[in-house]
Amino acid sequence: MKRRSFIKQSALASSVLLAPSFVQSANSLVLNNNNYKRLIIVQLSGGNDGLNTIIPMMNDIYYKSRPSIGIKKSEALNVTSDIGFNPNFLPMQRLFDSGNLFVINNVGYPNPNRSHFRSTDIWQTASDENQFLKYGWVGRYLDANAKQSYNAIELDDSLSLALKGKELNGIATKNPKALFNASNDPYFKQLLSHQSDQHLSEHNLGYLYKTLVSAKSSAKYIYEKNNVKNSTITYPNHDFGKQLKTTANLINSNIDTKIFYTSLGSFDSHANQLNSQGRLLKIYAETMEALVKDLKSSGTFDDTLILTFSEFGRRVTQNAGKGTDHGAANNVFVIGNQLKKQGFYNDLATLTDLDENGDIKYEIDFREIYATVLSKWLDVDAKTILNKDFKALDFI
Amino acid sequence: MEVRHLKHLYNRAAFGFSPKVEIDHVNNSKLEVINQLFNSSKTISPLEIDLTELTSVNPKDVIKKEALALKLRKLSRKKLRPFNEAWVNRITTTNEALRERMTLFWANHFSCYDRNIIHVQQFNNTLREHALGNFKDFVKAISKEAAMIKYLNNKQNKKAKPNENFARELMELFTLGTGNYTETDIKESAKAFTGYNHKYFGEFRFVEKHHDRTIKTFMDKSGDFNGDDIIDIIFEQPSCAEFICTKLYKYFVNYNVNPSHIKEMTNVFFPNYNIEKLMRFVFSSQWFYNEENIGTKIKSPIDWYASITKVVPIQFKKGKQLFVIQKLLGQVLLVPPNVAGWEGHQSWIDSNTILLRLKLPTLLVNEALIPSTITEKFPDMEKSFFKTNPDWNWFKKTYKNVTNQQLEDYIINCKISHTLSQLLKSEQDLNKEDYVVQLLSIPEFQMC
Repeated sequence: MKRRSFIKQSALASSVLLAPSFVQSANSLVLNNNNYKRLIIVQLSGGNDGLNTIIPMMNDIYYKSRPSIGIKKSEALNVTSDIGFNPNFLPMQRLFDSGNLFVINNVGYPNPNRSHFRSTDIWQTASDENQFLKYGWVGRYLDANAKQSYNAIELDDSLSLALKGKELNGIATKNPKALFNASNDPYFKQLLSHQSDQHLSEHNLGYLYKTLVSAKSSAKYIYEKNNVKNSTITYPNHDFGKQLKTTANLINSNIDTKIFYTSLGSFDSHANQLNSQGRLLKIYAETMEALVKDLKSSGTFDDTLILTFSEFGRRVTQNAGKGTDHGAANNVFVIGNQLKKQGFYNDLATLTDLDENGDIKYEIDFREIYATVLSKWLDVDAKTILNKDFKALDFI
Repeated sequence: MEVRHLKHLYNRAAFGFSPKVEIDHVNNSKLEVINQLFNSSKTISPLEIDLTELTSVNPKDVIKKEALALKLRKLSRKKLRPFNEAWVNRITTTNEALRERMTLFWANHFSCYDRNIIHVQQFNNTLREHALGNFKDFVKAISKEAAMIKYLNNKQNKKAKPNENFARELMELFTLGTGNYTETDIKESAKAFTGYNHKYFGEFRFVEKHHDRTIKTFMDKSGDFNGDDIIDIIFEQPSCAEFICTKLYKYFVNYNVNPSHIKEMTNVFFPNYNIEKLMRFVFSSQWFYNEENIGTKIKSPIDWYASITKVVPIQFKKGKQLFVIQKLLGQVLLVPPNVAGWEGHQSWIDSNTILLRLKLPTLLVNEALIPSTITEKFPDMEKSFFKTNPDWNWFKKTYKNVTNQQLEDYIINCKISHTLSQLLKSEQDLNKEDYVVQLLSIPEFQMC
């Protein structure tokens, strides 16, 4: 009897699957994609040198501290009379000129930690410097506001702390097709068809089964969404370009995902940084321009906000190897079409008032930016997620 | 001793059960089994890899020559991976199983990260040495380890400018837990640890001129305390014993704590802090073998890997691939996430790791294709294969007298639901090798 009803159910289920899920999503695209706000987070891993990204062209201390790696006024892209962009930031300059880029300077937190691991954890969990949180800020967003793992997707093979919640984790995938294939193993199907309520009620074992069910359905959902639209925009031929292309595909297919987490690595420029950092900034800038173009072509740019950070900036004074060591406060980029303000939120650091290590002091706590994005963009209660009241900034 | 209980003991106190364990102990009482477990861990075998290139230099030369220092630093970092591999292999093959189990536990208690392989190796062997010893001596030894002195900034902790990092974590994470000390205790004790430093090859070095000789007031006592004095005072607090017992209980017995069991443990542990005595008590207690404690813990990635090798021993042809697996499953030995260590428990499992855990056994024991998603992330990985030498002969020999139906009793530690056992039954005509891979690939295998 049980077996019969199971067969019946699965027959029903598969007819739903075979039928027009693609068509359905195409329809709902028109109906539902308006006003569905999404956030893309970009992490520049390794500590991007903010001072050689946004250049204080009229600041003598900058040039004195960096005799061989300081970027000359003549080489920088002049965006204002005293601020220049790295020469590789031409696509970002265009976004700036069209009012789609907003720069927040001197972002950090009290008692900055200069370890990559630790500082990344601090940014990912939105913790204090001496506080160890088990769950990430996106994970806590999921706990409070979401129902499905795919409501937050990381474009990677394994999940960062940022997306781990107490009740709900996000899901990581770099390649929706590969994830789907992995999850679509007939063996899993067989296994799950043999699960019972008894399984689910067991505390830890039940958690495993529930996670498996959710992984399978999320993988399938993401895979199907990824097939709805296929972008024709050219992205840089780099892993980072692929991450954002997949992200744009999913957004343009009206996926029910609020937060995307992406990253570009290798910013740890202790030696000969001019070329290595320049190459990465070029990949970043070209990808951002392609992404904006892609989103615009489907009318989703208005409802997408892109937030870029790095776990720390770098020391003001260059080191002996024509590079820079780990520093503190840094700039954060916000890209979008609904920015209340354009240009710069605040002035660049004067470099006259550095901390004991010779690093830039923070002026804006990064959690104020999170609070802004949570409350003013994703329209949720920021305090529940950040465990503390942070004032929201006035830029969206 | 009942086989079910023997299996539970070996899962938790060692790294898994096998027919050999059963044969060895079939006629032993619980006490005899426990005695043997402790006896085989009486010896201490340090884990060492070849570091001659790094240890044969003269420290004075390194200070003078920057290029040499840079070269050595690079080389040192490169040695971390082989040391990680040696540790994992030690875990899967050791005869001192209980000592290694305790070492793994303490490595996550005294969570520490360093890139100097000489210091890392020394730290790792200090964990091994004290794993079943006296906890107070253990904490004192850890406080003087080069890797820890660097990791928690005691190196920067000087009379003129105290750094509280070590003092804080010493109390919050290593001994007392939050709520059992004050901010003043942290400030005062930080002064006692000023002047802690290390020599080039990792020996402890006390720098008198950076040490604060003033009177400190710590937990209602005043004096010219040094670091060891502070640790002595901390250990007078019963809350220290309770804190450690709770942590051990969560790891070895059940994540959900039973306060009366903790009380029994604390009474054994306080005031002498004898780890061996405490663990003997836990493994001999009746409640350790309660139903709610058997097969209800989620294996850590290292436990998971070790338990596979108990069925089919695996040798990686490329050590790097073992590292990749740890990374993908979220536990790279020697690289803890932070000073609080791995959270463990359900945090091991997310959508991605559950799929991997169920898929990987097939790949590992069959030299099968790695999904392209993994190779994309590690482009330097040669071809898309896990190159392993699975020792199927060992499996055949070890499980010779075990039928497919009985395999489950050795490999699965929790109850299998009626419906799943129906499914497994329908596959029992598979050959033994294929059938065992099925068992390694079910969610139930994740439990211990």
